[in-house]
Amino acid sequence: MKALILVGGFGTRLRPLTLSLPKPLVDFANKPMILHQIEALKAVGVDEVVLTVNYQAEVMLNFLKDVEAKLEIKITCSRETEPMGTAGPLALARDKLVDGSGEPFFVLNSDVISEYPFKEMIEFHKAHGGEASIMVTKVDEPSKYGVVVMEETTGKVEKFVEKPKLYVGNKINAGIYLLNPSVVDKIELRPTSIEKETFPKIAAAQGLYAMVLPGFWMDIGQPRDYITGLRLYLDSLRKKCPAKLTTGPDIVGNVLVDETAKIGEGCLIGPDVAIGPGCVVESGVRLSRCTVMPGARIKKHACVSSSIIGWHSTVGQWARIENMTILGEDVHVRDEIYSNGGVVLPHKEIKSNILMPGIVM
Amino acid sequence: MGSSMEEKVVAVIMVGGPTKGTRFRPLSLNIPKPLFPIAGQPMVHHPISACKRIPNLAQIYLVGFYEEREFALYVSAISNELKVPVRYLREDKPHGSAGGLYHFRNLIMEDDPSHIFLLNCDVCCSFPLPEMLEAHRKYGGIGTLLVIKVSPESANQFGELVADPDTNELLHYTEKPETFVSDLVNCGVYVFTPDIFTAIRDVSSQRKDTAILRRVSSFEALQPATRIPADFVRLDQDILSPLAGKKQLYTYETLDFWEQIKSPGMSLRCSELYLSQFRLTSPQVLASGDGTKTAIVIGDVYIHHSAKIHPTAKIGPNVSISANARVGPGVRLISCIILDDVEIMENAVVTNAIVGWKSSIGRWSRAEGVYNSKLGVTILGDSVAVEDEVVVTSSIVLPNKTLNVSVQDEIIL
Repeated sequence: MKALILVGGFGTRLRPLTLSLPKPLVDFANKPMILHQIEALKAVGVDEVVLTVNYQAEVMLNFLKDVEAKLEIKITCSRETEPMGTAGPLALARDKLVDGSGEPFFVLNSDVISEYPFKEMIEFHKAHGGEASIMVTKVDEPSKYGVVVMEETTGKVEKFVEKPKLYVGNKINAGIYLLNPSVVDKIELRPTSIEKETFPKIAAAQGLYAMVLPGFWMDIGQPRDYITGLRLYLDSLRKKCPAKLTTGPDIVGNVLVDETAKIGEGCLIGPDVAIGPGCVVESGVRLSRCTVMPGARIKKHACVSSSIIGWHSTVGQWARIENMTILGEDVHVRDEIYSNGGVVLPHKEIKSNILMPGIVM
Repeated sequence: MGSSMEEKVVAVIMVGGPTKGTRFRPLSLNIPKPLFPIAGQPMVHHPISACKRIPNLAQIYLVGFYEEREFALYVSAISNELKVPVRYLREDKPHGSAGGLYHFRNLIMEDDPSHIFLLNCDVCCSFPLPEMLEAHRKYGGIGTLLVIKVSPESANQFGELVADPDTNELLHYTEKPETFVSDLVNCGVYVFTPDIFTAIRDVSSQRKDTAILRRVSSFEALQPATRIPADFVRLDQDILSPLAGKKQLYTYETLDFWEQIKSPGMSLRCSELYLSQFRLTSPQVLASGDGTKTAIVIGDVYIHHSAKIHPTAKIGPNVSISANARVGPGVRLISCIILDDVEIMENAVVTNAIVGWKSSIGRWSRAEGVYNSKLGVTILGDSVAVEDEVVVTSSIVLPNKTLNVSVQDEIIL
């Protein structure tokens, strides 16, 4: 079975992290974002994953060679020479997706994390027999998104309404699809929107069905949602596989610590913290609602909350880092510094306080 | 009789490295700072062409921390163009401004030069190198510094020095002092005799043997004491300061312009200075036009021959336009740097701004910088699209962004 992951563009909303790595390779819960999706696909029997990229394809391919070998799954890149929208990439990758077997293929948006209930989705798709299945998720403020209006019992999709002014429904497109190969025939090889052009056509022919995504959903393409997403992910991990979480006297709530990371004494870690490979957390450190990327060091007595600490960065002794501070790669915050929402580009030293949220270039 | 015709000269240009140059972002995200175009040529090209005027120049070395491949193309092109060997040398670890020179002494001395020029790549000046060399020969010391008078308020950003008004000897030197010492500052351009290597070596061995009591600033004194490695030798504190007043170092004062190109805003100012210098030394390089067959050109303007400018546009003063740029009808460009492959559409206005490679400026849109504001000149990184009628004021936009609403005083990541 095959899958297409729409990787697309420059990941500018996740800067400064994406100044160091393409977005799919940025770590989330101690694993490159895209690896979460590839592993879930492998688990339902997908044997080939096609990534559509238009930026830094070589960096992606290098990383993915290791993944190919370890997971025994084939990974290829389909290169967009110009942005192809949300449907165009499918036409671009037609040769890889349509192999004559008639099997449906998955399409995922690379920014989306969820429990990836792919097995249930395959069953749902077989049951309704339509051409396309789409996952939808319930949100509080549907007007911010594109709403999918559907029949509650069968899931048959009636229409899409983009940012509706009046309430038409509270389910939005979750960015996970399962499509029959015939869908690719309906897509022209040009920049196209799957929601505006392709799906409405299929819906009109009564062939599009929506399944409500069980469990959590988050688009982690920007720092605020990344941090919320980690909380949802760890929450889900607690329910499904609590052994993977770290426990101990210094741990409170859901915390994920890589086995190669070191934590000192007298710390208080959690809730909702991920500490990556090779990190060092010295004694007396307080961490909450934050991600510490591989190789970073948090020095004694520091306090970090609601922030992301980039690869190989250091947070100095007694420093206080909070309120959506994002440190890029190799950023060094001096002792006793306070950062309130500083967004710091890679290779910087922070020698003075950042009192108000702002960008340090 | 004059100098011996056999005496060769080697020039060393320090180009710095990537992690140190964060002040030049976002432009340095795409290109090493020394290769950023100023007045239509890479920054490092200006000191290199100045070196060409030195009699008996045998070799130019570029010394820095960048990967060799970042300079490979440039170095081979410029060697061919100027018919003088230019070579890039990569420092494996920081040795300090003098330590770097010492580290490559064997290569430098290969041509058995009688004199060695040391220049900093991000200095913008008229580089009176042949005149400096002549003065240096007369003084008979081991080194001569290029110096310039600046306003007393700005002097403490640089190395301040005192020189003897009659002999031009360097009497006193101090780097970035807290109190006012002098309004004469160090330009970052030097000429040495090979004795400089002995002086540097002495500093290294002295540091190895004894603990040196050195005067530190009150700020430094409160920092945890760090041991400086023996082979890390700084030109200012370790060579110039101690040797001042010992009849070894001399000064040559320039009355021309001098700036340091530390930030993207300064690159615009320095572009202006070099363009006005071209007006004097090589006016054929500059563009001209009166609106009949070609666009109206005011003041000093450089336009690459492959750029296409609509005749109804008005360009200048102080504009540099790089290769394959396209400037549409009715466009007004003032005080800006337009990089390769940029497209500026009808009736747009760009003033006090730097527009990055492959960016596009929409119809009736405006990119404007304000020098004294928080963010200064407007800088658009590589592949930025400014949509029609949008105004970008004193903002910095990182690569690959599209602006569809106006912004002011913002950094767009």
